[in-house]
Amino acid sequence: MAEVQPADLSTEERARFQAEALPLLDSLYGGALRMTRNPQDAEDLVQETMLRAYRSFDRFEAGTNLKAWLFRIMTNAYINTYRKKQREPRKVSSDELEDFDLYQELKTHDPQWEMTPENMVLNSLVDSDIIEAIDDLPEQFRLAVVLSDIEGFSYAEMAEIMDVPLGTVMSRLHRGRKALQKRLWEIARDRGIVRGERKE
Amino acid sequence: MKQKCLEVLEHVYLFLDGEGLSESQRIEIEAHLEDCGPCFEQFGFYQASLHITARLRGTSLCPDDLKAKVARLLEQA
Repeated sequence: MAEVQPADLSTEERARFQAEALPLLDSLYGGALRMTRNPQDAEDLVQETMLRAYRSFDRFEAGTNLKAWLFRIMTNAYINTYRKKQREPRKVSSDELEDFDLYQELKTHDPQWEMTPENMVLNSLVDSDIIEAIDDLPEQFRLAVVLSDIEGFSYAEMAEIMDVPLGTVMSRLHRGRKALQKRLWEIARDRGIVRGERKE
Repeated sequence: MKQKCLEVLEHVYLFLDGEGLSESQRIEIEAHLEDCGPCFEQFGFYQASLHITARLRGTSLCPDDLKAKVARLLEQA
């Protein structure tokens, strides 16, 4: 881990960090798990993040979004340290994405679905299906979907966290959601929830 | 598919995210969704798909021993 200068935190600042940052560990761990897809790496990432954050807490502007600030540190640490170690997720080609709309797919190709309550397909999927689908996304899509749809950050906050322009946030999120829907459909098909042609 | 429907569906995620649309644009979209059954159905589907991802919120809790490790790390920092 690169050296971080220990900050000279006052007793009051130390106490404030403990009180405000520690309750965010559940969120941080969840985010780390989706980034690294590996509990051991997630643990290491969380520890590194908290240490860096603690040591630079004097630079945190009180009253601003602490969770976003922590996620920024964590995303940076992830990119610098863990990204190289990751296994390659499934490739999703752009062509596949452009043509695919889950709603249209279900409506036109799965006659049974006409008769089911509209969201029954989605409701048939369990949490582990959704986790599997998210973990299979290419990293930039996965990060965008996790930050927006699980952690609830705004586009502006995501631009800060990912260190990219707003337009890039919107593009990755839009395409990430499309890719997620496609993956969910494949999982639903493989489990027999929907019928569909398997495209080899 | 009608032009109006295409426009509305193009903005459906911005609408659901509460981002990037003016108040009058939002009102226009809401009005169309009230009038157009097919768009309303598709909108509902996208809304549901966001809900199932959001279901994961708070499901991966930080293990207790990791919390303890972090607390110890901070004491030594």
